Amino acid sequence: MTNTQQETLKQPPPPLPPRPIKLPTTSETTLRNGLLVVVVQDQRLPLVSYRLALRSGDAHDPAELPGLADMLTGLLTEGTQSRTSREIADEVARLGATLQAGANSDYTTVAASSLTTFSDEILELLADVALRPVFPENEVELTKQNTKESLKQQRAQPSFLATEMVAKVMFGAHPYSVTAPTPEAIDATTREKLIEFHRSKFIPNNAVLLVAGDVEHHSLLQRIESLFGNWQPGEVPGDEFPAPPPRTSRAAYVIDRPGSAQANIVIANSGIRRTSPDYFPLLVMHTVLGANASSRLFMNLREEKGYTYGAYSSLDARRTAGTFRATAEVRTPVTGDSLKEFFYELGRIRSEPVSEKELADAKSYLTGVFPIRLETQEGLIDQLLQIKMFGLPDNYLDTYRSHIQSVTREQIQVVANKYVRPDEAAIVIVGDAAQLTEQIKPYAEDIQFYNTAGKKKSKSKGSSEESGARYAGNWSLQIDTPLGQSIPATLTLLPGANGLTGKVESEMGSGELISATVDGESLAAVVSLDVAGHAIEANIAAELTDNQIEGTINLQDAPALTFSGIRTDADQAQVQS
Amino acid sequence: MADRFELSPTPIKQFTLQNGLRVVLSPDSAVPVVSVALYYDVGSRNEKTGRTGFAHLFEHMMFQGSENVPKAAHFQYIFNAGGTMNGTTSTERTNYFETLPASHLPLALWLESDRMRSLKVTQENLDNQRNAVQEEKRLRYDNQPYVNAFLRINELIFKNPANAHSTIGSMEDLDAATIDDVQEFFRIYYAPNNAVLTIVGDFEEQEATSLVNKYFAGIPSQPAPPGADIGEPDDVARTQEVFHDQLAPAPAFVLGWKIPPRRTPDFYALSLAADLLFEGDSSRLYQKLVKGDESVVSIQGGIDERRGPSALYIFALPKPGEEVATIRDQIFAEIHALRTSGPSAEEMEKLRNSLCNDVVRGRQSTMYRAQRLAEYTLYDSDPTLMDSELDHYLSITPEQIRSSVERFLDIENRVVLDIVPATSTDETQTEAAASPQPPGEPKQPAAPAPQVPAQPPTQPEVRAGASIGAGENRTEQQPADPSQQIERGSGPLHT
Repeated sequence: MTNTQQETLKQPPPPLPPRPIKLPTTSETTLRNGLLVVVVQDQRLPLVSYRLALRSGDAHDPAELPGLADMLTGLLTEGTQSRTSREIADEVARLGATLQAGANSDYTTVAASSLTTFSDEILELLADVALRPVFPENEVELTKQNTKESLKQQRAQPSFLATEMVAKVMFGAHPYSVTAPTPEAIDATTREKLIEFHRSKFIPNNAVLLVAGDVEHHSLLQRIESLFGNWQPGEVPGDEFPAPPPRTSRAAYVIDRPGSAQANIVIANSGIRRTSPDYFPLLVMHTVLGANASSRLFMNLREEKGYTYGAYSSLDARRTAGTFRATAEVRTPVTGDSLKEFFYELGRIRSEPVSEKELADAKSYLTGVFPIRLETQEGLIDQLLQIKMFGLPDNYLDTYRSHIQSVTREQIQVVANKYVRPDEAAIVIVGDAAQLTEQIKPYAEDIQFYNTAGKKKSKSKGSSEESGARYAGNWSLQIDTPLGQSIPATLTLLPGANGLTGKVESEMGSGELISATVDGESLAAVVSLDVAGHAIEANIAAELTDNQIEGTINLQDAPALTFSGIRTDADQAQVQS
Repeated sequence: MADRFELSPTPIKQFTLQNGLRVVLSPDSAVPVVSVALYYDVGSRNEKTGRTGFAHLFEHMMFQGSENVPKAAHFQYIFNAGGTMNGTTSTERTNYFETLPASHLPLALWLESDRMRSLKVTQENLDNQRNAVQEEKRLRYDNQPYVNAFLRINELIFKNPANAHSTIGSMEDLDAATIDDVQEFFRIYYAPNNAVLTIVGDFEEQEATSLVNKYFAGIPSQPAPPGADIGEPDDVARTQEVFHDQLAPAPAFVLGWKIPPRRTPDFYALSLAADLLFEGDSSRLYQKLVKGDESVVSIQGGIDERRGPSALYIFALPKPGEEVATIRDQIFAEIHALRTSGPSAEEMEKLRNSLCNDVVRGRQSTMYRAQRLAEYTLYDSDPTLMDSELDHYLSITPEQIRSSVERFLDIENRVVLDIVPATSTDETQTEAAASPQPPGEPKQPAAPAPQVPAQPPTQPEVRAGASIGAGENRTEQQPADPSQQIERGSGPLHT
């Protein structure tokens, strides 16, 4: 090799001329019943992919039945009016196809794909499971059993415990606070509840059908019309949820997992909705701070310090709320050192403008990886799905790169100061609490402890009186009766000399609390109810958050009734212990 | 019937540089991106005693700087060009790969060639990456229920330490690795004549050829590395053991069999038998145990595909109160039934169609193609297997499946590993700690990177960055159900 040749190897080579990106062209049709059909022609391979998406997800679960949407999606393929569970499984397998349903916070999808040869068959199967599921009793029962066991498995995962706690403390009364069902909710799920959820949410005017593949447009639309044309529209469910609680101070929430091999750290702040005008500046800021292996967090905590396998930020922007998080799993003895570096980086992104180079690099990254996502039909549909489910503009893909390019350093600093707020952060750590407490203290005055079941540990500093005072106020309850009715009730809690006093008022009966104690977030109370002139004692057991309550009420000689509710004097919710 | 579809052949241009580097080009202008994969013929099977986990640790060192690329600059160059990248290590090989906007092909080749030519290692960087790898081990193995049992079962299936030990290795061996080890490993294995380079995507063939020559031709070849001794007796090392798992919330078990190497007729047949037994909701064991008997919460299996003796696993999570021995007997009975009657005509149709579907669907991604082409070239010296391998599977008869089950699965020469929940204060703890090899391989990274192919806990990969995606909406993903973690195939560890 000559010296000149060697010289040219010293510097990174300049790029070749750019090649044009051919963005997919979509064609949209709306059926008379409101079903929007979006088709992308993709003739590269003899494949077709379908995705039916409903604008309802876990957030629309009834308050007393967290996990209902997830359970429902699992049961769609377990029996229809004309096919058994086994027949569906065998038919999908025979076609060599895929058929899967799933829900996230904001929407539910039924996805199917096959070779073009089986395009009609798999679409008919998709329509059958989405429109005509019957939720057979035996399948519902089996799913309930297995969901309970899966829940135990999830609780063995530190990442699950961290995510659960972050959701709980960040979203409060907003339904994003719930990430998993409870055993009680699983027990309470019935075929009727599933049918009702399906009837109200699986409606064409709440849905989009996305198609990518080697399809003949006209005959495809005819096929869709024949399969989905008779689907009856209904009233579109709303998205009116309580706002997540504002955070005013920093606190640490430690989930004690004795013997844990690491500490899972999540530092969370309130974030944005997916449609926020701050989305693009925040996305670029997130890229500089922690999106990938060349971002600041990774370079500091892994490449410089060696504390972790990876440190990242995440921009969690959903339809009705969001968070901004920084995460790492670190070896236990360097938990405090890791918090130091996290807060250093979170402070720096606020106080100093990012450099011109960092800005250019982040933009280059975001605009460059964009077309890679469009390589596969699944990737393409994912992009179009987000547009439809989050209500993004129709030209979102066309303008994505110019939105990224237009972000300025000043905008980044503005959103950093708006959304990265170390003084209000929730620090969630899953690990061996005995080894963590001293390390965390310098970074949070308020430390709360939980067990892996998610229950607050009473050994934390918050005494019974403090906890009790925290929940004093008026709570509006809905009590569920065995007949499926819902009875309104009011629970009033007042701080007293020994725990709490208060009363219950409902159309079933009213009365004073005989005793009431709070341990962590658990309320145990006895109430003497005057029911049609008779004094009946009832035991109340409930779990409280700042704004939500749920639990059971046990009347003598009667099955326990479940109830849930919210705090009605919200101004008191911010009283800090 | 799936034989009604037609696929155009994958364009393949292959050549070998004078220094021995094998190169495969496959142009495709559908999307203006290019994927580059560089596979080195070295994996954990090449590791010396006392240095388990080294091939993977070394892979991390490949991101720590070379003559013209400073530490961690590899990540930065790729990301700042709008690309994604990673590296992974398995028993069989170590790979490095990136997908970039098509115009940045020269950058990818420059970066890969610089570290093939001139790796720079310092004690500080080695210590740093040793820490990162040990955290990777804690994250993906030691802090996860059930995962370490999958490392243990390999030690019970295989007798030869080269086959038996985990790719993630032991903490002690990772601690023992030195700078000299890194330099020696680089010299022996990271030579152009021990590697395959593939490029798939939007490029001009001539231009790519000249770029490959420009960046790689000047790298000197090295003496051929010593071959790995992967010889293995037919018998498994041990047929039974109890694994005490401090993190497991419920009892479970893993069954393991030793099976013939990849790309042998028996391997193809057993791979199809495995599909019939545990792949998907229509599979025999799912229908029998999850549905019929309702005795298990989940049942999954996988195949660890190797050039030498390979392995087949089945993992079952029984329901509380169910008799574990009975469930096992049911599994063995179903295997016996497959050996007795063979697959049905319906089952053969299902296998055919899903094989065709998988082959076509996999072709969408340039990275998927680059990786398959590299494997077929490295292992089989034949990239055209990309198109023709399907025919090998399609040619397997029901009788071949039946017969391979008879000879390799419906036999007593297999491993039963019971996983028993244990608390840290449990006396059984000492027994677990006394197991010969400490645990190793990881599973799911903290944040799954969607573009990386599925990885099983069986032979997980280790990679450089836990997540290389844009990270948008990452937390929105549903928490993984650990009972759903077992996936098939032989997956490497990521960097």
